[in-house]
Amino acid sequence: MDVEQYLRDPVSRRRFFALSGVGVTGGSAVFLTACGGKGEPETGGGGQSEVTKAKSPEETDIHILNTALDLEHMAVAAYTGGAELLKGDALAAGKTFLEHEQEHAQGLATAIKDLGGRPNKAMRGYDFPTLRNQEDVLNFAVDLENTAIAAYLDALPKLSMPELRATAAAIITNEAEHVAVLLGALGMDQVPDAFVAGKG
Amino acid sequence: MAMADAPRLHVIDGDVDTAVIAEYESTRRDMVRRGIAAGGAAVLAASAIPLLLGVRKAFAQAEGDAAIIESAIGIEQIAVFAYARAVSSGILDEETMRIATQFGAHEQEHADGLIAALEALGGKPPAKPTNLADLDAVQDGFGDARTQADIANFAIELETAGIAAYYDAQLKLKDAKLLQTGASIMANEGQHLVVLRQAVRKAPVPNAFETGEASS
Repeated sequence: MDVEQYLRDPVSRRRFFALSGVGVTGGSAVFLTACGGKGEPETGGGGQSEVTKAKSPEETDIHILNTALDLEHMAVAAYTGGAELLKGDALAAGKTFLEHEQEHAQGLATAIKDLGGRPNKAMRGYDFPTLRNQEDVLNFAVDLENTAIAAYLDALPKLSMPELRATAAAIITNEAEHVAVLLGALGMDQVPDAFVAGKG
Repeated sequence: MAMADAPRLHVIDGDVDTAVIAEYESTRRDMVRRGIAAGGAAVLAASAIPLLLGVRKAFAQAEGDAAIIESAIGIEQIAVFAYARAVSSGILDEETMRIATQFGAHEQEHADGLIAALEALGGKPPAKPTNLADLDAVQDGFGDARTQADIANFAIELETAGIAAYYDAQLKLKDAKLLQTGASIMANEGQHLVVLRQAVRKAPVPNAFETGEASS
C-alpha cells in the first residue's frame, strides 16, 4: 500500500471504509466482548443512510471492523518503525501509543471473530515516506492518527451495534489524545479545534 | 446577610467579570428568591465526583436523541462555567489562563453546536443554565481550590465526566450526524484531558480506550 499517496488523497481516505458499499442496517446479535460491551441487539446506525446489496449487519460490521484493523496494523508498523528515530519523552510516548494501537487491533480482531469473520492480517510491508528524524516521525504520526480519526468518524454511524459505536468513539478519543501529545511534542497548539474531525 | 439571599460566589482574587458567571449568579439569585434552589453555603472538598455521578445519571435517564442532546447541553454549560471560574480565580498563571480560556471557548462551541442540533430536532434549549446544583458543585469546588494543580485536577474530573457521558450517549443516540458530533466532542474533551494531565504530571494517555473511566 502506498501510504503517502493515501494520506494525501482525501477521496481515497474516505473510500477506505466505503469501498465495499457499507450501508446501514440493523440487528446484530454479537458485541465487542474485548471492550466490555454488553447488550441486546438493537436496530441502529444512522438509520437514514442507504442500504446496499444484501449484506447482513454482521457482514457489514465485519467489513468496517476489518478496515479499521488495517489502519491499526498500519499504525503499529509506523510506531514500530519510527521508534528508532525517537528519544526521551517522544520515545516513551511512541512506545505507549504503539501498545494502544496493538490493543485496538486485538480488540477489533476479537470482535471480528465474535461476528464470525476472519480478521485481516498486517501487510508484510508498508510503503511509508522516508523519515529522517524525530520531527518527521511525529509529523507522520499526526497524519496517520488524523486519518484514522476521520475514517472511524465516517464509519461509526454505519456500525449496527451501539456497543461497537461506543467502542469506536473510545478509540477515536484515544487517537485524538495521541494527536494532542504529538502536537505538543512538535511545539504546536495541542487542541486546535473544538470538534475533532481528523483529516478527511 | 442571610445566606438564602446571597449569591454564593467564593471570589478568591478580584471581581468575577465574565458574562457566564454573572448569568449564573442572576439565575441563581432568581431561583433562590423563588425558593427553588437551596441557599446554604456548604463547603465541599474540591472534587467533581458527585457531579460526575449526577451527570452520568442524567444521561442514563435521558431517552431519545433530543433528551440526550439536552443533557449534553447541560454538561457543556457546566464546563463553560467551570473554565470561566478558573480564569477568574486569580490562581492561574498567564499560560494556564490562556489554556483555560481556549478550553472554555471550545465548550461554548460545543454548547452552541448542540443547541443548533436540538433546535433542528424541534427541541427548545433552555434560555439559561438550569442545572444549578451542578453549577453549585463547581462553584464549591473552585471555592476550595488554592493552586493551579487543584484547578487542573478538578477540571480533569469534569472532563472525565463529560467523556463518560458522551460514551454513554453513543449507546443511545440514533441519528448518524449526532453520533458523529458526539464522538467529535468526546475526542476534543480527551485532548483537553491530555493537556490537563500533563499540567499535573500524570500520564497523558493512560488508556487505549478512552471511555471516561476515572484513572489515577
